[in-house]
Amino acid sequence: MGLIARALEMEGIATTLTCWAKQIRLTAAPRVTLTQLPRGMTLGTPNDAAQQRRVLAATLALLAQDSPLELIQLDEEEGSWR
Amino acid sequence: MDIVENLAEWQTQFNKTWLQNYKETGEVNWRLYKRPRNTQSPSTPGIDLAQSKLMLISTAGGYLPASQPAFDAENDLGDYSIRTFASDTPASEIAFAHTHYDHAAVDADSQSLLPLQHLQDMVQAGQIGALSDVVSYSGYMPDVAQIVNETAPAIVAAAKAAGVQGALLVPA
Repeated sequence: MGLIARALEMEGIATTLTCWAKQIRLTAAPRVTLTQLPRGMTLGTPNDAAQQRRVLAATLALLAQDSPLELIQLDEEEGSWR
Repeated sequence: MDIVENLAEWQTQFNKTWLQNYKETGEVNWRLYKRPRNTQSPSTPGIDLAQSKLMLISTAGGYLPASQPAFDAENDLGDYSIRTFASDTPASEIAFAHTHYDHAAVDADSQSLLPLQHLQDMVQAGQIGALSDVVSYSGYMPDVAQIVNETAPAIVAAAKAAGVQGALLVPA
């Protein structure tokens, strides 16, 4: 997905991305937040709208800054829901 | 600036190892897979999101079963096509064709993976100018050259046609 971000940025479209996979660093995507959430719940724990909105807000906030930025680590992890 | 630095070198290595093994054995062997590595990031100016049109791009494999074909999620070689649908599509109308992540979370609460309602709320609150249609694809894509040559141009074309200034990318 970092490659798609690069393709868009090369056409002048600002991108931001949130991810759980450290390998995202290899793509050199320009604006990235990295969480400790598991695969399949990238925005947050199911039914935890507050967490989902936090991840979303932190990730979208990066769009205000010129890229490229250093990757931002977010202290967000899966809560109880199952 | 390229989407993938040294793409030709990556493709040669992929063809000789992962793909050759798959053709010979029919087995997917990730020990043979090497991820591409970039060293330089592209650069764009920051944008004022409140005055911008935003595109959500998701790899969760979302599609509209009533009007669109499912992604070929069982294909070991991947599906590099995209689907688009309106950002106000009800969650009940979206299905997910992707066999490489646990669907329990998105089945319980689609906002955990495809945050359409959250984004709509931000538009209503004036935090986002507008939303374009969503671009969706199924993120199992081992052939990076096909991503570069097929998927990326299709998404860039969709973004340009929609007139977006920004994109939010959410992998599954």
